[in-house]
Amino acid sequence: MSDPQELTQEALAAIARAQTENELAAIEVDYLRRKNGRISSLLSDIGKLPPEERAALGQAANEAKRVIEAALAAKRHELEEARLADIAETEAIDITFPGAPLGRGHIHVLTQVQRQIETVLESLGYQVELGPEVETEWYNFEALNIPPGHPARENWDSFYFTPDLLLRAHTSPVQIRAMQRIKEPPIYIITPGRCYRRDAPEATRLPYFSQVEGLAVDKALTVGDMKGTLLYMIQSLYGEERKVRVRPSYFPFTEPSFEFDVTCGICAGAGCKSCRHKGWLEVGGCGMVHPQVLRNGGIDPEKWNGYAWGFGIERMAMLKHDVDDIRLFYESDLRFLEQF
Amino acid sequence: MKISYEWIGDFVDLDGVTPKEAAEVLTRLGIEVESLTVIDLSQIIVGKVLEQKPHPKSKTKLWIHQVDLGTRTEQIIAGADNAVPGSLVPVALPGTTVPNGKVVKDLNIAGYSAKGMLCSAEELLLGDDHSGILILDSGRPGDPLTTVIPSQATMDVEVTSNRPDCMGHLGVARELAAGLDRPMKVDFMPAFTGKSEPAGRDMVKVSIDDADLCSRYIGGVITGVKVGTSPDWVQRRLRACGVRPINNIVDITNYVLLEYAQPLHAFDRAKLSGGEVHVRRARAGEKLLCLDGVERELTPEMLVIADADKPVAIAGVIGGEETAVTDATADVLLEAATFNGPNVRQTARAFGLRTEASARFEKGLPAELALAGARRAAALIAELAGGAVHREWADVYPRPQEPVRIRLKPWLVDEVLGIHVPLEDSEAILIRLGFHVRILGDGEWDVLPPVFRLDVSIPEDLVEEVGRVWGYDRVPPTLPGRRRDRWTPSIPSMGRRLDAARQVLAGAGFTETWNPALVSGRMLEQLRVGARALGVSNPLSDDMDTLRTSLLPSLVNVVALNRDRGRMGVKVYEIAAVFLARVGDKTTQQPEEPQRLGAVTDAGATAESGREAFYAMKSVLDGCVRELGAPAYSYRRASAEMFHPGRCAAVFLEARQLGYIGELHPFVVANAGLEGRLVAIEIDLDPVLATAEIRRGQPLPRFPAIERDLAVVVEEHVAAGALLATIKEAGRDILERSRPFDEYRGAQVPDGHKSVAFALTFRSPERTLTDAEVDNVMGEIKLALEKKHSARFRE
Repeated sequence: MSDPQELTQEALAAIARAQTENELAAIEVDYLRRKNGRISSLLSDIGKLPPEERAALGQAANEAKRVIEAALAAKRHELEEARLADIAETEAIDITFPGAPLGRGHIHVLTQVQRQIETVLESLGYQVELGPEVETEWYNFEALNIPPGHPARENWDSFYFTPDLLLRAHTSPVQIRAMQRIKEPPIYIITPGRCYRRDAPEATRLPYFSQVEGLAVDKALTVGDMKGTLLYMIQSLYGEERKVRVRPSYFPFTEPSFEFDVTCGICAGAGCKSCRHKGWLEVGGCGMVHPQVLRNGGIDPEKWNGYAWGFGIERMAMLKHDVDDIRLFYESDLRFLEQF
Repeated sequence: MKISYEWIGDFVDLDGVTPKEAAEVLTRLGIEVESLTVIDLSQIIVGKVLEQKPHPKSKTKLWIHQVDLGTRTEQIIAGADNAVPGSLVPVALPGTTVPNGKVVKDLNIAGYSAKGMLCSAEELLLGDDHSGILILDSGRPGDPLTTVIPSQATMDVEVTSNRPDCMGHLGVARELAAGLDRPMKVDFMPAFTGKSEPAGRDMVKVSIDDADLCSRYIGGVITGVKVGTSPDWVQRRLRACGVRPINNIVDITNYVLLEYAQPLHAFDRAKLSGGEVHVRRARAGEKLLCLDGVERELTPEMLVIADADKPVAIAGVIGGEETAVTDATADVLLEAATFNGPNVRQTARAFGLRTEASARFEKGLPAELALAGARRAAALIAELAGGAVHREWADVYPRPQEPVRIRLKPWLVDEVLGIHVPLEDSEAILIRLGFHVRILGDGEWDVLPPVFRLDVSIPEDLVEEVGRVWGYDRVPPTLPGRRRDRWTPSIPSMGRRLDAARQVLAGAGFTETWNPALVSGRMLEQLRVGARALGVSNPLSDDMDTLRTSLLPSLVNVVALNRDRGRMGVKVYEIAAVFLARVGDKTTQQPEEPQRLGAVTDAGATAESGREAFYAMKSVLDGCVRELGAPAYSYRRASAEMFHPGRCAAVFLEARQLGYIGELHPFVVANAGLEGRLVAIEIDLDPVLATAEIRRGQPLPRFPAIERDLAVVVEEHVAAGALLATIKEAGRDILERSRPFDEYRGAQVPDGHKSVAFALTFRSPERTLTDAEVDNVMGEIKLALEKKHSARFRE
């Protein structure tokens, strides 16, 4: 019969020699197994001892067990540390090797830009309003103060199906429809959608394109409010350093009317090749809604006034992403679409 | 339109205002200067030719000139021979760069030194004449050329369609004067200079048949003119504006057009049969040989100027060759008229001929402008071509221009702009622009726009006039906002809701495309989807003559385009409206415009790859519909245009058919010039969005599940969907989920049969199921499958 302290020394020596988890597991079984483990074997003949010695032996055996367990745990910790210290080399991978392609498709850049515009204007309380692409003469022209024979009609040369039905030349008809539907201002809407004009395709324009127009009808709106709205929109989309200017222009449906320009992103307004030395890039048109247009939408211009603006989504995308040919958006070449 | 800076200087003092500054002011006022070309003549000096001799040695013909440059004489060699002794010529000395870019060098030509260059009009960019040296009317040798010809600057301006008065230098000058706050040097209406007898109206009879199309016709008579070339300054200004000089009479009509924006025409009075002028519609079959040498056939929609026998001009568009002014002309009938804008535009369009005149008339010119233009031209003719201007012209004016008065509450300016403009500034601006302002007792203003401004009719128009001169740059940006007692709750837009489907499609490898809605009607017919298509009555080309009724033809073409460019495995989709004409008596109404999702994927070359792609596409559709929040939908075998007859299903949401999924018909693929197979879906999105529901959370299961697989052997024709229905019914309430996952033919499966494997999950919400219980239900499922589908089972 061995002495518990001797056994403990023996076990600790074995633990100290052990180099692997397997050796430790064998030591653990050898010494600490309940049945026939060396420690428990110490107690197998305990009944033969005089009662006064039994407690001492029990205590000594328990103490031996505790010490061996602690030594095992410490050694295990040590081995694990050693192993983890190694993995930098043993498990190193070539982190320059690429992952497998995700194979994800792409959302069209115009959808992305349109959504960004919507998000910015929704944050000002505007809501998206949609309407038909095949419109009537009245909604597309007359309601917007462009009667037949009006010289401005040549800016909106259109595709006709019948003398009364045509592809809308702008999303402005949606403004009239929205005023008729909502009836009582305040009205704050934006109208994204496809439009059509009878222009031969070229790098800067296409017979089909997409617009976002905005319309605000409320009490006591001003040109200043319109400028602020445009500035907020442009800065949100292109960055706080951009400036906006409005230049007097002419549209039959607004009075006063303006074109709005944005400082060139390359020269910041100083003038460079990209902006044809103007410092400004034309973005769209805007103005205070003509009283007759409000009346055509069923709104009393004595009580309410409004401002409106419009621009091409393609133009915004071209400015944002440095695209120089509008045809790329509709040609559906994946090599282009996958860039965004 | 080209505007000459020099010309504007006739009307407003431009001292200290550079062309660039003038361009900036005009742009701020709403006359956009697209580009500015400056011709710097300050380096060129005036020389006087003292002697001209042929070069004795040169093989090409050259002339040696001795030129007086004021302080010295230089020898200069030129190819042209028109600089005869005594001529005043522009000289560029060695080292200078002339406006067309040529650098002048100190040369020695075959033994004779050449100390400079005599310049042609073309080299100075003053015209396109390069045949000879530009001969000057005046100048002192040694002085800069700019003492004779000012440095030239030409602005290319864009005039909005409401401002035809600015389609001439006078109008542009008035804007600039207002912008610079400088006075105009001339009045709008020139003095009448006609004094000669007899009265002009007794010398030509004018009648207007259709006052709707011609509201005024002035016929001025000038006799005894001497037709010849115009002086340099007239030619130079015409050229700067892109007009070719012809003779002094014609040049003056063009000059006044470019100055006043009033088109004019000069007839050789002797050639007008009967000395009569009728403004009438053309008669069917009438023809006119026009000034451009083209004979044009006229129709009764067109307005013409006719003499006693025949048309002599197409009103507002172009004159006739026969009655044109020639070198032999002595007496001139000067026409200044006001024609109906839309009618002139229509006529010009019908001929595809847009002239300087028609471009102005079509905007709608004020009748008062005709008189101003006629007076100005008569004075110029008298000055430059001699001739006697007769008194009292024929002036037929059936529709006198109505004067416009506007009642303005002047505080409207502040209300609309959002800043304070002092009343006296508003008033001063209006007066500078030619408006008359009378302040009434109640503080409101009675405003009378100038006769040349037909575009101003409501108070808001006056606000614009004040605003643009005051300067919109001075209006600070603000955001609107006030206490509101009404609002509309925010709802996500359709586009934003559909982004959920876009994300699923992107995850599945599909790229979004935006394709033109106008397609070839013939292609739709070939694909048999042209039945409800709307054809454009004025298409640009026949590949864009019809609105699409389906997204799939465009998408198939996208696959073809990308394959052409070397891309395989194309997966594309589009979300857009298609257009379906209404049927029956509603065909003239707006069409239906359902929003659709269309997707097409490359599906390999084999029947098996097509089959796999079909099921993959089903998963994509499942994912989209699920993400959009719509309830479950079902598939039914179907046949549809464009789809493979054995590989097509109709997609149903409850009782409503959404569209189709399937392999595309081989003829559709071949029609696009493609090989292999394509799988596609096209569904209506409106019902999907309309039925979308908010997802409700379910409690997590508390008891474990038991999984079983079941391989069912049935005849080929039995559909997995039918087996599934039977399984679900027999599985009672402990069958939580069941799904076919494999289809197998081969060993252990008899010919004409297939084995369909199902994964079944059993679970009770109340307790832990025992194997015995599940075995029991499995037995019932098998029994039901045997009975209904004569199924056998593989272990």
